[in-house]
Amino acid sequence: MALLPKNLSFSRQILPLVALAGLVLAVIYIATGLPDRELSEPTEEPPRAPQELANAARVAGAGVVEPSSEVIDIGTAIAGLVTMVRVQPGDYVTKGQPLFQVDDRAVRARVREAEAQIGEARAAIAEAQSAAATAARQLDLYRNVSDPAAVSRAEVIRAEGEASAAQNRLNAARARLQSAQAMRSSATTELGRLVVRAPISGEILAVDIRPGEYVSTMGGNASFIRMGETRPLHVRIDIDESEAARIALGEPATVSPRGASDRQVKASFVRAEPQVVPKRSLTNSAAERVDVRVLQVIYALPSAASSNEALFRVGQQVDAYIPARRNGATTDIVKPEADETE
Amino acid sequence: MIWIAIRMLTGDRQKFYGLLFGIAFSTLLITQQLTIFVNLLERGASGVYNVSSADVWVMDPVSRTTDVAYAMPSTALDKVRGVSGVEWAVPHIRATAAVRTKDGDLEGVAIIGVDDATLIGLPKRMIEGSPDVLSQPDSVIIDDVGMTRMFPDQSPIGERLELNDQRAVVRGIADAIPSFTSTVVLYTKYSQALNYVPGTRNRLSFVLVGKADDVSAQQLVDRIEAQTGLRARTREQFAGDGVDFIIENTGIPLNFGITVMLGFIVGVAIVGLTFSLFIRDNIKQFGALKAIGVSNGRIARMVAAQAGMVGMVGYGLGVLGTVGFIHAFSGDPTFKGFYIPWQIPLISLVAIVLIIALTGWLSLRTVLKTEPAAVFR
Amino acid sequence: MSAAPISKAISVRDIARDFTAGQQTIRVLHDIDIDVHSGELTYIVGESGSGKTTLISIMCGILYPTEGTVRVFDTDIYHLSDTELVEFRLNNIGFIFQQYNLIPAIDAASNAAVPLIAQGMDRHEARERAVAMMDKLNIADQADKLPNQLSGGQQQRVAIARALVHEPRLVVCDEPTAALDARSGRRVMDLLREVAVDEDRACIIVTHDNRVFDLADRILVLEDGRVTHDGAEMPEDH
Repeated sequence: MALLPKNLSFSRQILPLVALAGLVLAVIYIATGLPDRELSEPTEEPPRAPQELANAARVAGAGVVEPSSEVIDIGTAIAGLVTMVRVQPGDYVTKGQPLFQVDDRAVRARVREAEAQIGEARAAIAEAQSAAATAARQLDLYRNVSDPAAVSRAEVIRAEGEASAAQNRLNAARARLQSAQAMRSSATTELGRLVVRAPISGEILAVDIRPGEYVSTMGGNASFIRMGETRPLHVRIDIDESEAARIALGEPATVSPRGASDRQVKASFVRAEPQVVPKRSLTNSAAERVDVRVLQVIYALPSAASSNEALFRVGQQVDAYIPARRNGATTDIVKPEADETE
Repeated sequence: MIWIAIRMLTGDRQKFYGLLFGIAFSTLLITQQLTIFVNLLERGASGVYNVSSADVWVMDPVSRTTDVAYAMPSTALDKVRGVSGVEWAVPHIRATAAVRTKDGDLEGVAIIGVDDATLIGLPKRMIEGSPDVLSQPDSVIIDDVGMTRMFPDQSPIGERLELNDQRAVVRGIADAIPSFTSTVVLYTKYSQALNYVPGTRNRLSFVLVGKADDVSAQQLVDRIEAQTGLRARTREQFAGDGVDFIIENTGIPLNFGITVMLGFIVGVAIVGLTFSLFIRDNIKQFGALKAIGVSNGRIARMVAAQAGMVGMVGYGLGVLGTVGFIHAFSGDPTFKGFYIPWQIPLISLVAIVLIIALTGWLSLRTVLKTEPAAVFR
Repeated sequence: MSAAPISKAISVRDIARDFTAGQQTIRVLHDIDIDVHSGELTYIVGESGSGKTTLISIMCGILYPTEGTVRVFDTDIYHLSDTELVEFRLNNIGFIFQQYNLIPAIDAASNAAVPLIAQGMDRHEARERAVAMMDKLNIADQADKLPNQLSGGQQQRVAIARALVHEPRLVVCDEPTAALDARSGRRVMDLLREVAVDEDRACIIVTHDNRVFDLADRILVLEDGRVTHDGAEMPEDH
């Protein structure tokens, strides 16, 4: 072996090189193999507090969009088959506009029946009038005969009786006429009640009847047509009762719909419900039972510009941020009713 | 003189390779066992690390880890959202359920329900499909370990499962670090998860929180705890909780501690014995050098060079072996996501340096104690 | 052999050396008082156990005496510090060990170059000088071989080359002929005479090989730790 080995030495050169390469490889492997624990920004925009509330005291709540009139479930006064539905969901109706029609054939028959009775009564009146007139003339004739022998006393009495009977028949016929007219009026009223009309101006939200279906006055929560005033829309925000004391009632809320939390709008305060109620499920579970009570606060959404049409719909869930009361501004407990601005 | 020392070392091949083997074996044992140990422990934190965007986790005060959680009422989400410094907060549900596979087998699975709108809570990467598939009805995303366990040798895409009497269709595969128990994980939307998990009164397991830029996670945790009365943990704290849970509830640290200790002892034994044998074999040469006029300091440097060379090469080979091992098994689902924390090679380096220093010092003592006059006997 | 001593290389004054074995203290050298001169081939002869190894160790600065002083080329070596003593040995003394003690892992020339390398010389230059020295010893052709590829005689020549390569002023040689037959022994001694003995170099050979006594310039006989003879020839009774 020479001092400067021309042939490589395995122990002195290759092995250390292998070891060194191994170390370098290990460093690279370790450096690149470190787990990716970087925090990443969410790809979808989650609901965020609005800029001005980002670092201020605030209260958050979830809520549902509802018409400002709340939802009206239109019912019917008279049970029967539906013959005609006059509106579609999305129609904007004015107060009194017919919505749907219940089968009116039976009532119309009753109208016609009453009219026939009216005719009959009128005929009876005419007949009774003519009989009364005949009887009255005959009675006059008998009374003007001065010869008591010419007309017997009995004849006179008979004529008087006939006149009186004719008058009575006339009265009876008039009464029948009035009765028949009353019957007709009643049937006509019922005819009107078979047409269900809009109680207020508003938007038809849902129609759950079709011609031929039977509508009943019984059966509890049956709602055939749902409507409500959607100009403007309101949101009903649930605030956990433990947070309720912190909320600054009267301040506008920042509201965004689920799934489009980057599109936040300002909603103006309407009122807080005077009653704290058990939380209604907003988290999709069908039979959620909760021991949480919530204060419901109602805000008016800005009136729908055409571009906003698609943003909020009745029944939609929203996330809301409401400013909290300034610390120390007031120490008395806010009574929601006291702040009502309605 | 150093090169002479190295020649002396490598000249005795048997002992040289014996020494290398000892060091490399110790390194391998210590590094590899520590790596597996750390990775197994971190399995306890995988649930936290799989969620890549949450800075803070909020939970019921009695919840301990991602898997040991007590559900909260759903208004907890709004309470958290009301805390200033919370940039966003989304619900997160974790529950276990029994799933019936197509073959009729029953398999325990973890259901993770992520926020419906934002899908926050899904792992960062998908192996197949995109997170958007959750918008289809009855969709679930399975994790890759679950895939290999429930659908070996076939694609799970489109497979139908039965969960709590409800239909679930696998439409994606997520790239996730498995949990400690390697439970099959099904990701679905929060609202869907409520249907898959048999009903209890409260369902919300966690609220995942993103912090605003100008607060630290710890500040936010303090604020949330003060304002809501819930328990909040930063991502790192909560990951640590998961690890602590495993440490407290399993014998893993003891077992691995023993193995690492054994690696160290085996290293000391092999290397110590071989090195002193080597030195003893060369004691005459060292004595001659001392007589000729090589100072003790230089002798010490020579021995140090020999020990250093053995240590360096052996350590390099050992680390190479560990990397090879971890790399070779990285395809195995049991080792999925295993990595070598950079601290571990440093720890084994310290151990090796200790071994080398200890044995080198012992051997050097015999050299230094050798009288140069001994060469005349 | 050749004539009068030229200069005092080593002067040993009143040397005594004790060894402790357990509780006992044994004095192996008593009042040694000798001078060694440059240009001479000096033998130290004695039975084993006579103390000759101890004496040579003390004379070349690797064993501290219990009493007395040793001056090597006017340096009181046992009053030097440890480092200075090591340095002194490295620069002034060449050793030829009985078992050669070559390093098996490096080739012959490198072995021969060890003292130069230890002095700090560049390893290639040192090797060239070593090869030159080996050339004088007629083994330059073995320069690239490892010690175990050489015969015993060749190994010894490498050892001699190592002892001389840095041109020390004192060469100490331990039993150079012990393992050799008479003819080889004489050849080695001739060689040593030829290359080691020089005007300003002293050469001490420890031996009990009576076959080569006639080659000495001066013979010191040691018995039981005392110098019993000091002369150019061996005493008759030996």
